[in-house]
Amino acid sequence: MPELNFDKVYASLDLRIKDIVNIDEFDELTKEFLGKNSLISEERKKLSSLSKEDKKNYGMKLTEATEFITSRIKEQRQLYLDSQFNNKEEAEVTDISIDWKPTRGTYKHVLSTVMEEVVSIFSSIGYEVAYGPEAETSWHNFDALNTPDWHPARYESDTLYLDEKLQTLLRTQTSTVQIRHMEENEPPVYIVAPGRVFRSDQLDATHSPVFHQLEGLAIDKNLTFTDLKGTLEFFVKEFFGNNVETKFIPHFFPFTEPSAEVLVKWQNGEWLEILGCGMVDPNVLSNVNYPESYKGFAWGVGIERLAMLRYKIDHIKNFYDNDIRFLEQF
Amino acid sequence: MKILKSWLNDWIELDQISDEELSNALESLGFEIENYTQVSPNYKNIVVGKVIELYQHPNADKVRVTKVDVGSKIYEIVCGAWNFDIGAVVPVALPKSKIKDDFLIDQRDIRGVISNGMICSASELNLWDDHDGILLLNENEKIGSDFSSIYDSHDSIWEVGVTPNRGDCMSHLGVARELSNYFNLSLADNSINLKPTIKPLLKVNSGKGMKCASYQAIEIENISIEDSSLTIKHRLSSIGVRIINNVVDYTNYVLHDIGQPLHAFDRDKLFGTISVRNAKDNEELLTLDNQNRTLDKSDLVITDNDKAIALAGVMGGYDSEVTSSTKNLLIESAYFDKVSIMKTSRKLNLISDASIRFERGIDRNIQTFGLERFIHLFKDNSNISYSDIQNDTKDQDSVLSLQFSKSMIQEILGIEIDDKFIIKTLTSLKIPHSLTSDTVEFSSPSWRYDLERPADIIEELAKHYGFNNFPSTLPVGNKLNNVGNYWKVRKFFIDKLSNLNFHEIQTLSFVDDSLNKLFTPELKSVKVINPIDKTQESMRTNLYSTLINTFIFNLDKHSYSGQYFEINNTYDMANHSKYKNIPNQNYKLGILVPKKITDSNYKENSIQDLASTLRILNPNVKFKKLTKPGFHKNNSYLIIINESPVGHMGQLSYSTQHKLNLKDEIFLAELNLEILKFNSLVSYDYKPLSQYPFIKFDLSFKVPKDLISQDLINEVEILLNKNENQISIFDDYTNEISRNLGIRIITRSYEKTYNEQESTEILNSVVHNLTKKFSITLNEKGN
Repeated sequence: MPELNFDKVYASLDLRIKDIVNIDEFDELTKEFLGKNSLISEERKKLSSLSKEDKKNYGMKLTEATEFITSRIKEQRQLYLDSQFNNKEEAEVTDISIDWKPTRGTYKHVLSTVMEEVVSIFSSIGYEVAYGPEAETSWHNFDALNTPDWHPARYESDTLYLDEKLQTLLRTQTSTVQIRHMEENEPPVYIVAPGRVFRSDQLDATHSPVFHQLEGLAIDKNLTFTDLKGTLEFFVKEFFGNNVETKFIPHFFPFTEPSAEVLVKWQNGEWLEILGCGMVDPNVLSNVNYPESYKGFAWGVGIERLAMLRYKIDHIKNFYDNDIRFLEQF
Repeated sequence: MKILKSWLNDWIELDQISDEELSNALESLGFEIENYTQVSPNYKNIVVGKVIELYQHPNADKVRVTKVDVGSKIYEIVCGAWNFDIGAVVPVALPKSKIKDDFLIDQRDIRGVISNGMICSASELNLWDDHDGILLLNENEKIGSDFSSIYDSHDSIWEVGVTPNRGDCMSHLGVARELSNYFNLSLADNSINLKPTIKPLLKVNSGKGMKCASYQAIEIENISIEDSSLTIKHRLSSIGVRIINNVVDYTNYVLHDIGQPLHAFDRDKLFGTISVRNAKDNEELLTLDNQNRTLDKSDLVITDNDKAIALAGVMGGYDSEVTSSTKNLLIESAYFDKVSIMKTSRKLNLISDASIRFERGIDRNIQTFGLERFIHLFKDNSNISYSDIQNDTKDQDSVLSLQFSKSMIQEILGIEIDDKFIIKTLTSLKIPHSLTSDTVEFSSPSWRYDLERPADIIEELAKHYGFNNFPSTLPVGNKLNNVGNYWKVRKFFIDKLSNLNFHEIQTLSFVDDSLNKLFTPELKSVKVINPIDKTQESMRTNLYSTLINTFIFNLDKHSYSGQYFEINNTYDMANHSKYKNIPNQNYKLGILVPKKITDSNYKENSIQDLASTLRILNPNVKFKKLTKPGFHKNNSYLIIINESPVGHMGQLSYSTQHKLNLKDEIFLAELNLEILKFNSLVSYDYKPLSQYPFIKFDLSFKVPKDLISQDLINEVEILLNKNENQISIFDDYTNEISRNLGIRIITRSYEKTYNEQESTEILNSVVHNLTKKFSITLNEKGN
């Protein structure tokens, strides 16, 4: 019985595959080699005329050939596709340094970024955010905070007032929120109050009539000066990094005693003041009728100051000009 | 305030203490170090010489030729100054020496005379600014000695901040007292015994009022007004005090030495009784700066026979001033009321070293010592004679002693402080005290105004213990990771808008009132009575104007701007909703969307972009037409969230746009964040996902111009409320004849796959209901 020369068929298949220039040709090839009119199909038609033994043997050979061709085409098709993709990728060289759509991810104001970070540091040790009015009574801004009548901070050259009798003003410190919060809430108190404060200063490189502070207040039983130190050291390490050195030096604020300033050692070895703090003065607590068994500490930190240190911003004016070249950097 | 190491050394022995140790001590004691400098001579090889001959230069009118003895040799030196005579002892720069800033002095021919160097003025040696020519030295100085050895030419200066509660530290004595405890050194006594030889001519009293607790004075005769000694001039100029003459310099010296301000009068210009009283309203006084001051009864004046001669503690009078011809003096040393001096000096803007010390409070018992120190500075002058000190001091309230429990120390500071430390500290600070096993009793010394309560003494102990020697402990509060509604709402909007590429801005709260009136004519602005800038005295009633200003600022500057938002307060004169006695204020969110971000922007925004931004912020937001000043007649809406009005949004009216010189349209929104609850902002019900295939209809209707497509969408939602739906507008086209609106409905059943018939029924029902309810007609396909 004359058998099909399978090797010749395979050789011809390989030749054809070599010439393929279009992916669709693989389908045509399948049709040509395995379709109705293919050599394999022609041979299969002849099977019925063969002996039982031959039929079985030749039939098996034909099936093997069919499987071989199928897998060959499939395999070559994949190779062809891969080489096409490969060529395509090789042709695609992009200069990623070009920014066609110059937008950043977010345009949060840098002061918000810093405030949120400071808030989240204190939130992680149990403080909630409080807020209070910006246009305030002089009592909340000064008297309640143990600031005597004659204190220089009250001068019209420093403070912006809203009435001729000097009874209302734009708060000069977020410490007013201490008073508002304690008037409305029973101890214990653990709050931070970020917000705007106002001073009678022209906007220039180092001054602004508006700036931001974050006030902190902790009032509880058994809070002491060592707790104040630990809390603020924790904050400094979280914000500036674990390796930053801090020191506490005595200072004076009317509403705390003892009072201190916290300094951090900057990269260049310089010590920079970053916040003021102290044990809440007993007069402040009695002004809001808190029981004597409660004590605590308070601090205030300048948000602009933190932002200027972190991002090396040299002019405070930048925060309020809202020049888009500045806004887009954060 | 500046302090000198050599001067401190008069009070405590600091020779063995390095500048670094001293800096650490000052800081640890609460003196903020603003500056530290070491001074050393800015000259080389200057010697002390004596002028032994003096004659006119043969070829020049304005200079003279001197012969100067410098011990080893006599030099001929040409000199242009005329303030000295034969016998003067002067600093001499010989050839090869250097004066200020390394300027080399050498032999020089000056119009035919060889000058072997230079006789120096104080400014040529970089000591202080002078105006009188050559620096004249004490005649007893050794001829030929090195000039830099005859005064403290090597010294250290600290400029320190003194906290306002510590007036007692505003002198070298005051600082030395604090340091004495730190270094365990004793404070020098420096007391002086006077030997008066004359009787006073004037009478002195402290007046009837209570504002002068003590008035003391001494009369000095036969004074000559001349230069102070080199040491005093150098010390004063080093701490920034202007050199005048011996009398003025010495009063300044006593002030910086012990903290007692003195005032020198020309005694021969005074008559009768010197006293103190309140000025009368409109009383006039010519002060020594030659200005006529109109006083009122809050000012305190010194008088002679009831005529005002000086503003107490603030400035002397012109008529009784010490001049170069003054022969006899009256030196005043007084204790004036703090608040009175402060008010006068602030009112007249006359703030001096003396007024600052009076207003912070000087030592109540130091007036006599001040006069003694002054007399002592003339110790080398045998010509003068002086009277007894006349002293009128009012009775003082006796100093109360206070007692407190030792346990308070640990309650406040968190550590135990032992008796030994307490006793040592209070003793060296000269704070009277006694301790029992469980109490501390103390009283306040005459120079301390900050020790009124137990907490004040506890602070003192903490400070001298050293803040940095305390351990640290970290308490945890009661609101762990629970920042509260205010902050969550704020952060919610900031995060969302900044992620949508809106720029967050921070603008000042002050505006020109016309901008308030433009948008909120119904509100009365809150005004600053002492504004920094008169055109910016109003507090903003809205966030619109500052958003617009920022938009314009960037567009003008860069031809490129952005879309902005700001979260801050607005203010108006209505009553505050929660608190008494303060103006109304709300923290709000303002949003600005411009039609164009640049001059040539391919993508233009419309009011719909602003509306869709608001929908991203809250999917439940609804809009209701609302006309508002400054805004477009139609494109102006009330913003409603969860059935409550929370703000306003709209397009700037064309007239406002024109007024503000804006080329293109601007869309603005303002939301009152105070009334929003974070939980309701983030709570929407989950919409279950149907497992069945969708059916989709694109329908086009002819609709009235004012139809609100959201109403149409809402209606479909109601009709298909049992299904999962996505309903949107895909087309809105208006021609001359009609407005055509394309609505896309994609809907899925939660129960089954719709067959063709069911699908058609749904379509028909939607069309039927919409056409009937809104009186609109369906555009059939192909039309």
